[in-house]
Amino acid sequence: MRRTAGPALLAPAFLVMAAALAAPLGALVLLSFWTQTGFEIDRTFTLANYWRIVEPGPPTWWNGIPFPFAYPVPAILLVKSLAMSLTATAAVILVAWPMAYFLAFRVRRGKAAWIILLTVPFWTSYLLRVFSWKIVLGYNGAVNSGLIALGVIGEPLDFLLYNPVAVMITLTHSWIAFAVLPIYVSLEKIDRSLLEAAADLGDSRWARLRRITLPLSMPGTVAATLLVFIPTVGDYVTPTLVGGTQGTMIGSLVQQLFTRQDNAPMGAAVSIVMMLVIAALVLVFLRAIGWRRMRARAGA
Amino acid sequence: MQRIRFIDRMAQGRMSRREMLASAGAFGVGAILVPVRARASGPLVCLEWAGYDVADYIPAFVEKHGRTPDFAVFGGEEEALAKVRAGFAADVMHPCNYSVSRFVSAGLAREIDTARLSHWPDIFPALKTAEGVLTDGRVVMAPADWGNSSIAYRPDLVDPAFAADPTWGIFFDDAYRGRVSMLDNELLIQIGAMVGGMSYDEAYALSGAALEQAARTWGRKGVEISRFLWTDASEVQQAMASGEIVAAYAWNDLVKNLQAEGIPVAYAVPREGLFTWFCGLTLLNSGRADEALAYDFIDAWLSPETGKLLIEGSGYGHANMKSFEIADPDAVAAMGLRDPVAVMESAILFRTPPDAVQNEHNRVWSDVKALR
Amino acid sequence: MSPRRDALTWYAVAFVAFLYGPVLLMPLFSFNDSNFATFPLAGFTTRHYAGMAANISMMEALRNSLTVALGVSAAATALALPAALALTRHRIPGRALVTGFMMLPLVVPSIVLGVALLVILIRILGVQLSLWTVAAGHLVVALPFSLAVLMSRLEGFDPSLEEASGDLGAGGFGTFRRVTLPLALPGVISSLLLAFIISFDEFVISFFLTGTRNTLPVFLFSQLRFPNRLPGTLALGSLILFGSALLVILTEVIRRRGLPADRAGGL
Repeated sequence: MRRTAGPALLAPAFLVMAAALAAPLGALVLLSFWTQTGFEIDRTFTLANYWRIVEPGPPTWWNGIPFPFAYPVPAILLVKSLAMSLTATAAVILVAWPMAYFLAFRVRRGKAAWIILLTVPFWTSYLLRVFSWKIVLGYNGAVNSGLIALGVIGEPLDFLLYNPVAVMITLTHSWIAFAVLPIYVSLEKIDRSLLEAAADLGDSRWARLRRITLPLSMPGTVAATLLVFIPTVGDYVTPTLVGGTQGTMIGSLVQQLFTRQDNAPMGAAVSIVMMLVIAALVLVFLRAIGWRRMRARAGA
Repeated sequence: MQRIRFIDRMAQGRMSRREMLASAGAFGVGAILVPVRARASGPLVCLEWAGYDVADYIPAFVEKHGRTPDFAVFGGEEEALAKVRAGFAADVMHPCNYSVSRFVSAGLAREIDTARLSHWPDIFPALKTAEGVLTDGRVVMAPADWGNSSIAYRPDLVDPAFAADPTWGIFFDDAYRGRVSMLDNELLIQIGAMVGGMSYDEAYALSGAALEQAARTWGRKGVEISRFLWTDASEVQQAMASGEIVAAYAWNDLVKNLQAEGIPVAYAVPREGLFTWFCGLTLLNSGRADEALAYDFIDAWLSPETGKLLIEGSGYGHANMKSFEIADPDAVAAMGLRDPVAVMESAILFRTPPDAVQNEHNRVWSDVKALR
Repeated sequence: MSPRRDALTWYAVAFVAFLYGPVLLMPLFSFNDSNFATFPLAGFTTRHYAGMAANISMMEALRNSLTVALGVSAAATALALPAALALTRHRIPGRALVTGFMMLPLVVPSIVLGVALLVILIRILGVQLSLWTVAAGHLVVALPFSLAVLMSRLEGFDPSLEEASGDLGAGGFGTFRRVTLPLALPGVISSLLLAFIISFDEFVISFFLTGTRNTLPVFLFSQLRFPNRLPGTLALGSLILFGSALLVILTEVIRRRGLPADRAGGL
């Protein structure tokens, strides 16, 4: 193929991203080296915002973990957000994988209908979906009134909502459709003759699953993992709505810094640190599972 | 548009290098230049509280111009302030007595020529000269709506001892852990300090080590006790309706709405004091619309018909004295508010400390919540 | 072979129930004669639907969201398809780096993107906020998803098909139209759907970049704060749900028309 075709095909998307992503992010990085003084922004170059995030100080204890920082809030919220996001991601993948498997191997007809069936609830507003979980788990909600009607409990359970478990359930519900699709795509690509050959050679269903299906589904599964993990670290809407007073996350801090706290440069620094930490974790994760080898194998 | 014009001028070589650098490099230049050139063109843009962004509150404006202005909604003043400071061009904003100074000191507010407001003579005289309305002798906010902030509670579900002698201490009381809800606001720290014996005048201006101390003692405790810190009224209203929480920080409309649903609810006069506030309309200097439109909008808000709607629909008071004459007398009586002067004398009017202190409160409150 | 009714099938049923259960409460409460979405139900009413239809700003927000989402969906797919082809089929200098850059919005929290765009749009370019700025923000978020879906699809099939087409004398565009596009079609459809959903749902960026014309999520967020209108919003949520269900059935009918009668199996 012609040598110029590639760059020409890529150019429109690349230019759009350069204008609408690189330029704003550049401005953000610049902003993080400035400081806020009252209503004005001091444009002297300084690392003060970054220093403030890591400046050592007397330890602040949070859930039994010491954070030896003078301003421990970003560090604590980052750890908290990562923990929430990792747990939610694990839950999403565990729930979505069997569904993707079902879709790829059991559904013979109307696959498109199934896919659309799975996506339909996601055409409704995200906020309303979160809100419906409040209706389900709420004090007078579906679970409580159902249990009361059955005579299981006399008083509504008040531990269903406004805690990390509620955040987890809501996040899982919000993201499973996104996770099913990439896993399904990579399962669908598996050459059925491989499975037949293995069956002919006497492999049991479990052995086939373990030795062929699972490894070959990894590109999609890993993609799904990242698709869920990365945005949930910065998500603050769901924890705010169903997490109660424990729902403050690193995203809430960024939002607060840009709005209420009126310290956009500090907000810029916190968000850049957050992005770097996420990127570092993703790289470590991909290296640990041997991503390159896996893709090479799946593509072969 | 701005950008096209810029490129156009550059292409025609009508712009010196110096001019170009100034336009392209300096942040905020566009925001300063544009209003001057483009004023008196676009539609009226109003930054309005979510829920107030409807034709119902400005019948006179809609009648005259055949449409509502373009609304941009906000949920809290600091959010709106950040939006305007980031360059959002709005003509009118709806701040409150305690928050208007933030807009004034950020250099965003303009003086209001009260002679251009037909309803101005009917505004309660005390409100015309109240702090917030007047800044350095100039009117920067036309007062419109007013009401209270106190504890709404379920008399059937709280301890009778609380109903007999209500106290803000309920938000820090282990006996009510997970059964009350405070607003998501740094006010919680100040209220805590007041429960601890401090006056509001000291508490709202707390700063430095004293503020940190109050945040550690009261802020953390309060955040622990509340089932959730509410940010939207529907949430707290439903939680009270179901009995999930038995008391909450609330404005008048919550009590009004719950009563309309037939739910037993009372509005406390806490022993530490009842809070009061009034809000109004402020002209912003970022606006691009014809000034006459902005005045029509403000005047519509000050009309007695708007006041009637607020009194009957939400249980709020209104700045126009005539509102109380045309509103349903039962609604006026039920509201328990008639004269803003009497209310403000018997209650604690919210205030805002200097900008530096307010920013400190914002930061400390964020930190308190983060450490939960 | 007929589908087995085993544990996995039951799992799929449970999965769909989990997916739909909470969402279906919306239509339920939209017919409930109370301003509060709590059990026990108070009685049947359609007043919330009447109220919703009369709510001009809600209808306008819905229209805005649909417009933006359709535009973003088309634009993201149109940009992503050639880019995905370039990245999977052509030699691109610094391919890994370019891909990484295109996927960057996935590691940037949307709130940061929103604020960064706000700063550059207003303070540097002097653009007024409008649905265009919202759409620009949505495009940045949706593009990597479209690209990922399309690349995943294009990587999945054998390039020798395209080479064969080239060997048989088809030009670059002919090969694209006859071979690549049909093969990529499921990916294109997923890309369109995904980008649409992302844009239609997006709240945080819209919140920062919206001018005076709201998108639906921004509008709903403001409505959730105003309790008396909550059932109206539940009515709207229900209608969106039914609207999309209708779309599903329509899609299915159109799809079946193109199939031989004996293959027109059950849904």
